[in-house]
Amino acid sequence: MAELQVLLQHRNVPGIDGIDVYESHGGYAGLRAALGKERQAVIDEVKASGLRGRGGAGFPTWIKWNGLPKSGSAQHYLLCNADEGEPGTFKDRELLLKLPHMVVEGMAIAAYATRSANGFVYVRGEFVESATQLRKAIDQAYRRGYLGRNILGRSDFCFDLHIHTGAGSYECGEETALMSSLMGERGQPRLKPPHGPLPVVSGVWGSPTLINNVETYACVPHILTHGGAWYAAMGTQRSPGTKIFSVSGHVARPGNYEIELGTPLTELIELAGGVVGGALKAVIPGGSSVPILPAEKCAGVTLDYEGCQAAGTMLGSGGFMVFNDKTDIVALMRRTAQFYAHESCGKCTPCREGTRWISRVLDRITAGAGRMEDIDLLLSICDQIDGRSYCPLGDAASWPIRAGIRNFRHEFEHWVRHGSSPIPGFVPPVRSHGPGPVPGRQE
Amino acid sequence: MVAASAGRFSEAGQAQLAEIVSHYPDPGGAILPALWLAQREYGGWLPADAIAEVAARLGRPASEIQGVATFYTMYNTQQRGRRHIEVCTCLTCGCLGAYEVIDRLEQILGIHLGQTTADGEFTLTEAECLNYCEAATVVQVGERYFGGVNAENAADLVARLRGSEGCTPESLSNAIVEAIVPGRNAGATHG
Ligand SMILES: Cc1cc2nc3c(=O)[nH]c(=O)nc-3n(C[C@H](O)[C@H](O)[C@H](O)COP(=O)(O)O)c2cc1C
Ligand code: SF4
Ligand code: FES
Repeated sequence: MAELQVLLQHRNVPGIDGIDVYESHGGYAGLRAALGKERQAVIDEVKASGLRGRGGAGFPTWIKWNGLPKSGSAQHYLLCNADEGEPGTFKDRELLLKLPHMVVEGMAIAAYATRSANGFVYVRGEFVESATQLRKAIDQAYRRGYLGRNILGRSDFCFDLHIHTGAGSYECGEETALMSSLMGERGQPRLKPPHGPLPVVSGVWGSPTLINNVETYACVPHILTHGGAWYAAMGTQRSPGTKIFSVSGHVARPGNYEIELGTPLTELIELAGGVVGGALKAVIPGGSSVPILPAEKCAGVTLDYEGCQAAGTMLGSGGFMVFNDKTDIVALMRRTAQFYAHESCGKCTPCREGTRWISRVLDRITAGAGRMEDIDLLLSICDQIDGRSYCPLGDAASWPIRAGIRNFRHEFEHWVRHGSSPIPGFVPPVRSHGPGPVPGRQE
Repeated sequence: MVAASAGRFSEAGQAQLAEIVSHYPDPGGAILPALWLAQREYGGWLPADAIAEVAARLGRPASEIQGVATFYTMYNTQQRGRRHIEVCTCLTCGCLGAYEVIDRLEQILGIHLGQTTADGEFTLTEAECLNYCEAATVVQVGERYFGGVNAENAADLVARLRGSEGCTPESLSNAIVEAIVPGRNAGATHG
């Protein structure tokens, strides 16, 4: 049982955020290796690695790269999604803070492979410190000829990289909403296939656009330095490589842990020092959007895309939250619902209205004024959102609530019957800043 | 519409805006960064004049700029306290004492969640996940994150804020502009 650090290996080396120390630890060797190859050979190396996007969906990275037009003079854009907003996830924040050059290098390699002359890193507005670190790294990379015109003396390779910061909106992490936001609009999504074009065909400003997550780009220099086959030898056959999990909650040593995909879920809890304050009650393994796993279903689960799916949940972004037996699941679901109601962009009715209703009904239950039929009402609202929303935020708002009821229905029933928590001594926060008044409660 | 020349952008601010506009193939891309810039130039919030100035400088209707500004929570279309204390109460922080932190802060500041102290010094609100859950409970004030906040040390945090530089909406906006605009020494190949 151990971590396998590829990305995070040098994260605590003093000065690794600066270009000299980064280079002396193998930095920019991946870019040099890439420039020694044909562009297609770089894409093939990424294909051989089996790398899958680390932003949540696990889509094969090489397929996107390969989808950009390979000839013609059309401008391409390269985007890095650093809007990390999924509750429970904090890996991109640390990567940018401590290892910004790894992200810059990964983007430069992608720019070469996909003939992109312009890139933007979309950094979440709150991440000021990470954005500042990235600024320094980009400036240094320009000075050393890793960005800008004629990179490393190659007259056929120019790449400008800019920072664009968000301003407080979870939905902007969704790739088409991010593009709207980059173009100066409200952060609302755009049509995708089958109703609209793929971003690699028509993304920002109508141009072919590649978007990947921070961690995805940070994997790329290692793949180019050591080879796709080397990377694919780690992890499982269908989920190759390593993945950073952000572990938080009731554990002794919360933090980012990089492990091989396929590692047993219980080992990650051990790595983080084990459960504190009580026995394990539940885990949310991939950020707030994925279904909660009760303790009795955790044994035997492996942390890879397929293993999580088989267990009825998802790997998602790797936001791994651990809850002990003093946790009130209904209150946890209430807070989850508050998040989605707050972050719904308002573009489509099922999500805009549905997330507010879920939030209000859960407010009512945890105010001690719930009715037994509220539990099925919640499930029915979930059914009306899931699959009927414009973008995946709506679906993601319904999954955790459904899974909470499926796995902990007795706790919801206890709340309704007794008007109080099944956890002795647990007093739910009375304040609710969910939108709208709380039905059934005297204000 | 106010003419850009009648605006309040400093010379440095105007130069930064010109640099930012050059990053995008269409000036629309500069709307979000220009709002950050305006929020700095107007002392930490966006009064109607600030919206009008951004609109004039980018050649867009003020209604469009206002529509964008109100969508994003970090643009202050209303003036807030000088220190906006945002306590994360999301999943991890909420289970690890965030609500006790809020109770304590309400006591110390003598206000309720969502309010501003009479002297205009502090505004207290609840935040969604600040994505630094390893340090729960996490509090953001301006450009700074504070981790490991609890009911016991909440008073120290307030005391520290009273005497500290920065941690205002203005310094937050400035830090973001500084991150967006390339360093002066970035070298000849930049641009
Ligand atoms: C509501 C919502 C929020 C998202 N937030 C993020 C995010 O913060 N960071 C991210 O990389 N991807 C996020 N995604 C996924 C992106 O849409 C996209 O799939 C991803 O950036 C692609 O990069 P990858 O292939 O490297 O994973 C989000 C998706 C949705 C539906
Ligand atoms: S599902 Fe609809 S309302 Fe919800 S975030 Fe997506 S587009 Fe906006
Ligand atoms: S839950 Fe507070 S920072 Fe994530």
